[in-house]
Amino acid sequence: MRRIKFALAAAALTLLAACGTAAPEPVAYRPPSAPEAGATFNSTDVMYLQMMVAHHTQGLELVKLARTRGTSEEVAQLAGAIEVTQTTELEVMQGWLTGWGEPTTAGHDPNAHASHGGLPITGADEMAALRKATGGQFQTTFLNLLIGHQHNAVEMARMETDSGLNEKVKDLANRISLSRTEQIKQMLGLVAA
Amino acid sequence: MRRLVAYPLVALGLVTASLALASPASAHGYVSSPPSRQALCASGRVTGCGPVQYEPQSVEGPKGQRNCHGGLAQFAVLNDDSRNWPATSVGSSVTFNWVLTARHSTSSWEYFIGGRRIAFFEDGGRQPNATVSHQVSLAGFSGRQTLLAIWNIGDTPMAFYNCIDLQIGGGGPAPSPTASPTARPSTSPTARPTARPSAQPTVRPSSPAGSPSARPTGPGPGAPAGEWAPGTAYRTGDEISYQGVRYRCRQSHTSIVTWEPSYYTLALWLPI
Repeated sequence: MRRIKFALAAAALTLLAACGTAAPEPVAYRPPSAPEAGATFNSTDVMYLQMMVAHHTQGLELVKLARTRGTSEEVAQLAGAIEVTQTTELEVMQGWLTGWGEPTTAGHDPNAHASHGGLPITGADEMAALRKATGGQFQTTFLNLLIGHQHNAVEMARMETDSGLNEKVKDLANRISLSRTEQIKQMLGLVAA
Repeated sequence: MRRLVAYPLVALGLVTASLALASPASAHGYVSSPPSRQALCASGRVTGCGPVQYEPQSVEGPKGQRNCHGGLAQFAVLNDDSRNWPATSVGSSVTFNWVLTARHSTSSWEYFIGGRRIAFFEDGGRQPNATVSHQVSLAGFSGRQTLLAIWNIGDTPMAFYNCIDLQIGGGGPAPSPTASPTARPSTSPTARPTARPSAQPTVRPSSPAGSPSARPTGPGPGAPAGEWAPGTAYRTGDEISYQGVRYRCRQSHTSIVTWEPSYYTLALWLPI
């Protein structure tokens, strides 16, 4: 296996070299590759990523449960788009942590922060509330839970943008903050409709 | 060597982290439906609200007030009745739904119209559920009313304030939800498409150049042949351009800023 990989790499290099000398050709579109985080980071970057891995995982549980229940098409589409984009974000964050040799989950129960105001609503609370909701109340409960959940994501992003070090992690925190704010806008429109 | 440097950083990180973790404690909850004034600001349906659009959950002030902004100067806009707040049409019984971002032990929930308390829910210091709903009778009230909903925290002197503009009862068939209360010229500012990707001051992804902020959008037919734009309902199979590349939509969704084609959205947009 390793030998095959090496052979492929060698072949790729040869091809690259060949391209280098060939006449310029139209540049083919290359799909974007996963963002790299680099090697410089501080403990806030690590803690933020670990917290967000947990938070994303909880959010994914919520949107996946919504898929199995009756919601409007608009809500189902929003949940679906959140699911796929958040899954990619989750993989990127786990990849960065692993690349740094850090665990992808915080070493302790996230509820440990509850005493000083952190991670205020746990995934277990959210899931329990959502499982209990039935009929027409399901969609309202789902939206209100997810709105609160995404407000929490914006609050946590602030920690990273204030005291993180790694620019890529800060970029991601900015992205998450903006994205969640926009999602909240959509959901507030849907819940009030 | 690295370790020696890292320790103080770790210590610093923990301090800042606990401060940051404490910050959600200043942000807790609001009424999302029928929409409170802060929810209307956060949804973009009412614009020009100032900072409350980013933290509708933070309208917190000392208990006992009878205003819409908890006495906070930065949220004074919520108390400004001259701003054409859209009113929601409701019947004589309404379920008020809250978004909570922190579940503080709760003394009570109160609902007022015109200084009269019309509903009271005693929680006796319990921690609320992850979501909270109350059914409130509006019997005896009609027409346009501003309802004040208050969440009294159990273990602090603070409360959360929400004003909710309602059009109560038999006001005729399907009254416009934006029934204007005042003498303002009725070109309703609330009808405006919520296009601008509301630049959140501190926050903006650094990568995507050429922000599409100038585009008038609104959930339109999808403009499948055009440039990607936020606020557009895209269907599976729609094709768009973004920064010179063509993409096909892989999953129907209504677009938002950050869902433009990128590595993070490969499941939404496939390059073609």
